[in-house]
Amino acid sequence: MEPTPIIQIQNLHKHFGETAALNGVDLVVHQGEVVVIIGPSGSGKSTLLRCINRLETFQTGSVIVDEIPLTTAENINAIRTEVGMVFQSFNLFPHLTVLENVTLAQKVVRKRTKAEANAIAYELLEKVGIPEKCQGYPGQLSGGQQQRVAIARALAMNPKIMLFDEPTSALDPEMIQEVLDVMLQLAKEGMTMVVVSHEMGFARAAADRAVLMDEGLIIEQAVPDVLFSQPTQERTKRFLSKIL
Amino acid sequence: MDDENGLEKIPGRGAAKYQIDHWWWLVVAVAGIVLLLSLTQPDPYWRIVKFVSDGVLVTVGVTLVSFLLTLILGLVIALGRISKNGFFRWITTIYVEVARGIPLLVQLLFWYFAFPSLIQSFGRLLSLQILERYHANPYIMAILGLCFCYGAYMSEIYRAGIQSISKGQNEAARSLGMTHGQAMRYIILPQAVKVILPPVGNEFISLLKDSSLVSVVAVADMTRRGREFMAANFIPVETWLMIALLYLIMTLIAARVVAWIEKKTQTEER
Ligand SMILES: Nc1ncnc2c1ncn2[C@@H]1O[C@H](COP(=O)(O)OP(=O)(O)O)[C@@H](O)[C@H]1O
Ligand SMILES: [Mg+2]
Repeated sequence: MEPTPIIQIQNLHKHFGETAALNGVDLVVHQGEVVVIIGPSGSGKSTLLRCINRLETFQTGSVIVDEIPLTTAENINAIRTEVGMVFQSFNLFPHLTVLENVTLAQKVVRKRTKAEANAIAYELLEKVGIPEKCQGYPGQLSGGQQQRVAIARALAMNPKIMLFDEPTSALDPEMIQEVLDVMLQLAKEGMTMVVVSHEMGFARAAADRAVLMDEGLIIEQAVPDVLFSQPTQERTKRFLSKIL
Repeated sequence: MDDENGLEKIPGRGAAKYQIDHWWWLVVAVAGIVLLLSLTQPDPYWRIVKFVSDGVLVTVGVTLVSFLLTLILGLVIALGRISKNGFFRWITTIYVEVARGIPLLVQLLFWYFAFPSLIQSFGRLLSLQILERYHANPYIMAILGLCFCYGAYMSEIYRAGIQSISKGQNEAARSLGMTHGQAMRYIILPQAVKVILPPVGNEFISLLKDSSLVSVVAVADMTRRGREFMAANFIPVETWLMIALLYLIMTLIAARVVAWIEKKTQTEER
């Protein structure tokens, strides 16, 4: 059976004023696939992710998510409820408790009752390993715990796709693995994931494909082991030599 | 909002009950002076207090109503100024510049004397009886004038508060599928309130003082009643001393309440 494409990006161009961020990106992600994006800082990785759920607008090209083209405001909200996003800086809501962080959007967007939302939240918080901290505030948690709550918050919307933008870059080294473990688990369960991360171990263990971006373009893509050990492009070799 | 701070404050929350702000003594002292003067020399001081007492109520009423309306107007204007829609941005920016660029006294004179005239001329032009016979109610015009002016300042406070919340908060909310309005209501505004509260409190005190300007548009507030008392009794020193003390009591009380609210929201901060 043909795998179903769930994200189709064609010839995507995006610039901020004079600065070009994306110079014609084509990328197809299939249902259940885990794609890791690597590349130097400023190469357009974040912008690409943010175009997928329209946190950024773009100038030319098309982005089709789950067969919904990104055009009208209604489509944007439809897509955003299908796509979860995890940020480098967590962006938990500091004025809400951990539990409320996970239930708020369920209630106001998904229109679930408080009981339903709470039940789902408890289940997800347990899954990401946040025990008995539900009544506390995000400021009381460690960075690793905060990022796991952020993952639970996104999962509570039952997304079909999860986007991760450098989810472990802001973490102390000893907390990185606990977040990666949650992501590995998600990948195993068949979630479609697009992950910007330079964690090679994670890419090797979880990703179906690794993509190298530079200067707003996709330079090379392959199975992680192949891309990391036998890169064909000069730019990929240069980048890998810096981070490995 | 650091981890350490958050953890330390929680146990202290119940124990550290709010203590009486020591600046209350100043309120008590000023009130004491008023009381002393009224008791030792009822004529003229107690007479002045009795004479202007209805004006005190008018001053408080006009200030409170204008303040509440200004809170709403300021929010609407602020949302317009940060709107993606260019037209809303344009029109609200013009409003803010105009309202802040004209002295409040001139604005009040305009609303009370010029605006009704314009309406009447307009009515004659269209031969509309209701408009021709339009007569301005001083209280409504005074409140309108205060709101028009203060709405602009208030909107700038709201805007600064909203923009002080990191963009990531809005992005997180939007990425969860919340609309712009939902993100504002549940995420941005609740966090902005803490930033906004101190300057909003200061605006309230300014508004209380500036409300004395409505005395020129036939509103019988404390200041206008003071002038009336003056005109009948010719004792300027006693009259204006008493009026000044009464204003001072009100602004000092307001300042204490503002400080109390600020402190309360600060301790509730995690
Ligand atoms: N909001 C913005 N305004 C202006 N330029 C931006 C903005 N966001 C990103 N850029 C620019 O777009 C390019 C790509 O940025 P980004 O997607 O963040 O790269 P990466 O995530 O790979 O580090 C960079 O040159 C960056 O300076
Ligand atoms: Mg980035």
